[in-house]
Amino acid sequence: MSIKKSNTIKSYEITSESIYLERRKLIKSMSVASAMIPWGMTLSQSTKDDSYIPAYKRNSIYSTSEPKNSFEDITTYNNFYEFGMGKSDPYRNSANFEPAPWNVKISGEANKTGIYNIDDLIDSNALEERVYRLRCVEAWSMVIPWIGIPLGNIIKKLEPNSKAKYVAFETVYRPSEMPGQKKRILNWPYIEALTMAEAMNPLTLIAVGLYGQDLLNQSGAPMRLVVPWKYGFKSIKSINKIHFQESKPKTSWNISASNEYGFYANVNPQVDHPRWSQSRERRIGNGFFGAKQPTLMFNGYQDEVAHLYQGMNLRKYF
Amino acid sequence: MQYMVKVFTLISLIPFIILSFKGFGFFSGLGANPIETIIHETGQWGIRTLIVTLLITPIGHYMRHELYKKLPKPLGLVSLFYILIHFLSYALIDQGGDIKVIIVDIIETPYLIVGWAGFLCLLSVGLISFKKLQSWFNKNRSTISGIIYTAAVLGVWHYYWQTKVIELEPVLLAILMILLTGWKFKTSKNKS
Repeated sequence: MSIKKSNTIKSYEITSESIYLERRKLIKSMSVASAMIPWGMTLSQSTKDDSYIPAYKRNSIYSTSEPKNSFEDITTYNNFYEFGMGKSDPYRNSANFEPAPWNVKISGEANKTGIYNIDDLIDSNALEERVYRLRCVEAWSMVIPWIGIPLGNIIKKLEPNSKAKYVAFETVYRPSEMPGQKKRILNWPYIEALTMAEAMNPLTLIAVGLYGQDLLNQSGAPMRLVVPWKYGFKSIKSINKIHFQESKPKTSWNISASNEYGFYANVNPQVDHPRWSQSRERRIGNGFFGAKQPTLMFNGYQDEVAHLYQGMNLRKYF
Repeated sequence: MQYMVKVFTLISLIPFIILSFKGFGFFSGLGANPIETIIHETGQWGIRTLIVTLLITPIGHYMRHELYKKLPKPLGLVSLFYILIHFLSYALIDQGGDIKVIIVDIIETPYLIVGWAGFLCLLSVGLISFKKLQSWFNKNRSTISGIIYTAAVLGVWHYYWQTKVIELEPVLLAILMILLTGWKFKTSKNKS
């Protein structure tokens, strides 16, 4: 009986968090948001009351102090093949996408499955700003001030059972609004997944905004994953399905080219992509003559995540 | 005739003019990653121009138009011009002009080896056409067109190999190269 009782405390609940959180006032966040909005849209946007971000706190523990990329760079240079394969395609082709209303289907090995509204999944009073590095598998990088909540907080609410070893995510499939989905570039809908330990890591975020305002369509509105120690393609956008399962999920890029894109896809300067080096990266916004910089192990998040992969052969499990 | 050659050469330089304007911030500029934009666009226009250059001969042959004799050389040089910018912006700006870094990068990146080889082929032919080696040029026409064909095949391969998923354009260019090579072998057989 005592064994059974110990099961009621899930392993992911043991991680304790002591984070210094700076409170910010609603009015301040709104003024930041309106300052970021392009010309001509100021009025309609700043009076918008269906924003996912009423207020947020700054999390300085998990934030880098490196200079942030501009809002323009972050929202005009994206890989989001659902809107096309060019870097500016998501910015150009995503205007018809409708991020509201938004429901997410929760299924698989959890007690609380079913269809949830985004507001029921994401506690808007718990939103944090975290400035993370993002490293793309194509060897460029950015620094982005995300706004979101730890994925772990959402998962705890959904009460996954002991069979839940992995959590898989799906991007919404709407070819009429996402022109890239009309072509078979990848196996739509896009699927990504994490192990439960990765999903419960305090760094793993579900973001609903950046630079103080709701995510734009090209950034994965209205909710997306942010896993800063993995290559960008793991951070799946516009999520409308979350599935808990016992077996390792098949993920989109891994299906497309399993020798090039592994399940883990941890940033690792020592393990090259078969067709290019991963030892250096171009930081976007460093200027035309800006030199490439060395890529850091786990994208610089070694202290937070290296223990997840202890003893693993990272060449084999790339 | 000479006037038509000038018109076509000028048309082939339009992408370069647009790219220059982008460099000064027009047409929404070079974007968040300007060096990548320059490398990609000059590479694409270089291989496109080269394949158009190769297409002129068979098309002119069937249309019995005299233009096809005059046009390949200036268009080939425009292609070399694009590829030269493509290579120099990679070597001097993207890699900061550091020879050691470039060598390591090329070894680690297989599609760069292919691109390098194609670039050297094209460059060698380009240099010949500039120098006063016209008689040598005329005597060795088949060797030279062989080198240009090799450059084009390597260029398309380089383009295809660096894409993350199968893209339409490099596939189309590869099909064109197969047709062109087939035609080349057929006509050179007829002559001998």
